[in-house]
Amino acid sequence: MADLSLRSVKKVYDNTVVAVQEFSLEIADKEFIVLVGPSGCGKSTTLRMVAGLEDITEGELYIGGRKVNTVPPKDRDIAMVFQNYALYPHMTVYDNIAYGLKLRKFPKRVIDEKVREAAEILDITELLKRKPKALSGGQRQRVAIGRAIVREPQVFLMDEPLSNLDAKLRNQMRSEIIKLRQKVNTTFIYVTHDQTEAMTLGDRIVIMRDGFVQQVGTPQEVFHHPANLFVAGFIGTPQMNVFDGRLVREGSRYFVELDGTVRIELSAEKEERLRKCGVETQPVKLGLRPEHLTLTDSGNAVCAAVDVSEMMGSAVHIHVSACGKDVVIVVPLSEEEDGDAIPLGTPVRFTFRGSAAHVFDVETGRNLEYPIAQAPEPAPEPPPTELPAPVPVLEQVPEPVPAPVPAPEPIPEPVIPQSVFDPLPEIPPEKLGDPFAEDGEEG
Amino acid sequence: MRKNRYFGRFALTVLAAFFALTFLMPTMLTISNSFMTQSEISANYGKVFANVAGSDGKTYISDSVNLKFIPDKVTFSQYVSVLFRSPDYLLKFWNSVILVVPIVLLQLVIASITAYGFTRWRGKVRSFLFFFYVILMLMPTQVTLVPNYLVSDWVGLLNTRWAIILPGAFAPFSVFLLTKSMRRIPVSLIEAAKLDGSSEWQIFKDICLPQCRSALYSIAILVFIDYWNMVEQPIILLPDAEKQPLSVYLSTINTSEVGLAFAIATIYMVPSLLLFLHGEDYLVEGIAHQGSVKG
Repeated sequence: MADLSLRSVKKVYDNTVVAVQEFSLEIADKEFIVLVGPSGCGKSTTLRMVAGLEDITEGELYIGGRKVNTVPPKDRDIAMVFQNYALYPHMTVYDNIAYGLKLRKFPKRVIDEKVREAAEILDITELLKRKPKALSGGQRQRVAIGRAIVREPQVFLMDEPLSNLDAKLRNQMRSEIIKLRQKVNTTFIYVTHDQTEAMTLGDRIVIMRDGFVQQVGTPQEVFHHPANLFVAGFIGTPQMNVFDGRLVREGSRYFVELDGTVRIELSAEKEERLRKCGVETQPVKLGLRPEHLTLTDSGNAVCAAVDVSEMMGSAVHIHVSACGKDVVIVVPLSEEEDGDAIPLGTPVRFTFRGSAAHVFDVETGRNLEYPIAQAPEPAPEPPPTELPAPVPVLEQVPEPVPAPVPAPEPIPEPVIPQSVFDPLPEIPPEKLGDPFAEDGEEG
Repeated sequence: MRKNRYFGRFALTVLAAFFALTFLMPTMLTISNSFMTQSEISANYGKVFANVAGSDGKTYISDSVNLKFIPDKVTFSQYVSVLFRSPDYLLKFWNSVILVVPIVLLQLVIASITAYGFTRWRGKVRSFLFFFYVILMLMPTQVTLVPNYLVSDWVGLLNTRWAIILPGAFAPFSVFLLTKSMRRIPVSLIEAAKLDGSSEWQIFKDICLPQCRSALYSIAILVFIDYWNMVEQPIILLPDAEKQPLSVYLSTINTSEVGLAFAIATIYMVPSLLLFLHGEDYLVEGIAHQGSVKG
């Protein structure tokens, strides 16, 4: 068990390609950190630098208080699970797990005990004599984890360990990792591009883009207080809806205007934060999560027309056209509701609460609720391929965002017009037309 | 339509069988003739060998060559002569062994270490060296014989076994084949071994070599067969007849010992054949893999 400290770590390949920029992070002992981001954002490179598989171009890395920039991987006391499992194909499962211990010259009896104990934890005892090619993907993954835990490392690194598994197995292995974490109880750094994995596994999540850290925070923090538009869009499924809106300051009160017709006052906490930042009236990018939009009959709502409705079991995802954009609204279903498909073109109105609105700067995408020093600088667009000129030191993102999660307002029952769920037998399907037909083309 | 397809398949099978038998015939003939008596062999090939020897004094028994596969009377006398009454043969056999076995072993060791170097370390020097190796590989043995002779003479190795063993131990083809094989090993395996605590030597020995087993077998078989059958190198670099291998000795057998020659040739085939049969799967796998790998 050990804490980690990454201080202004930078990675440049071949003096030209910058993979990771100014990565600073303090990881506490026994913490589970998830690095998440799209492909090419530098998350795996960061993990490999921690592992010692990549040299650190600039910055410092400490494990357990010891600077390890130049320490070879085998002397860092870390274990890693690779995306493709990296099992030695010519060795049995037993030998794969025991190999690291043999190299460290553990007595045979101890090796046997440790291997069998790890196999027991991972439920692979009956596979010990098999070769990797005789195992399924999930079993191989367990063996790879077994090989890592048997050494009882200070830090456990996992590089997209579930991405080669099918969806069902991935869910199963995800819960296995959560259980394993409780048993092993060591420091974890986990890399994934899947935000669901990040949200369910991590104590804290590091969201990266183009080599820059965008935000560091707990799953709740990054979900409820995204530092910028990228984080807001990356975290959460379905993705956050973003509108061109307007933030209006009237004395100490703040309103957001949308579509020229809707005007909603922000929650007291948001107003307080915006006041502290001295934010004035300005056009903004307004972010609204699909699950925070509610269908309504009231007048202060955005008019929209249904494009598609997707029955997801516990909720209906309604895709509507509003303000010139495709907007997704998640409507939770109660036990009685069967969530019948809503016909194309059905007019609906939706609204949102002031506590659910996120306001972002139009140009930088920064969340206006947080001071500039706290919000991460937007990553350069397009990603740098050459060494850029020295950039100003990036202020670390809120870590964690000091503001507590706003006290939940009493959530009103979503007002869903019954007509939304009523079948419309009186409209013959042929009259609805083909949504994919060319203009003037019928059926 | 279906009839035509069946006929086509049948014709192809017949053609393939014909070629297979044609290629097998010399081997079958050698083996079957090794069990014939000397007089029966003379009766079958008398004219041929008399003409080849060019000796007018010899009489021939028949006008035409008689390719006979089944002996009139099966005898092991040729084998008894070779194995128990001809110390020369055993000496030459031993000469072949002590030339070929060190070449195979040294070549496997040197080529695998070199290939590991080419696989693990990248850079312009490495690329140039590898290119150089490929160029060398394209040169036939005959081209390198003269430089080998000059160098051997210069360092005083001429007429010693090292004059053949040392050039044989450093073979570009084996390096090329093994480099291709090692490049197929996923980098993550080597990284996993590093994290497990392996040194570079342990990565080579425990991770890389076991996964190149088929390539190593292929090289061992191909190199063994190549050097087991060598003729030019010993003639030029090892003029001392006492030290020359069986491959050279076979060509010096005279007409009166034709039966003996068949027996020696049969025994001579055995090591190569055994090695091939033992590692046939590896040989096919090793070579097939190289074909499927991108450069």
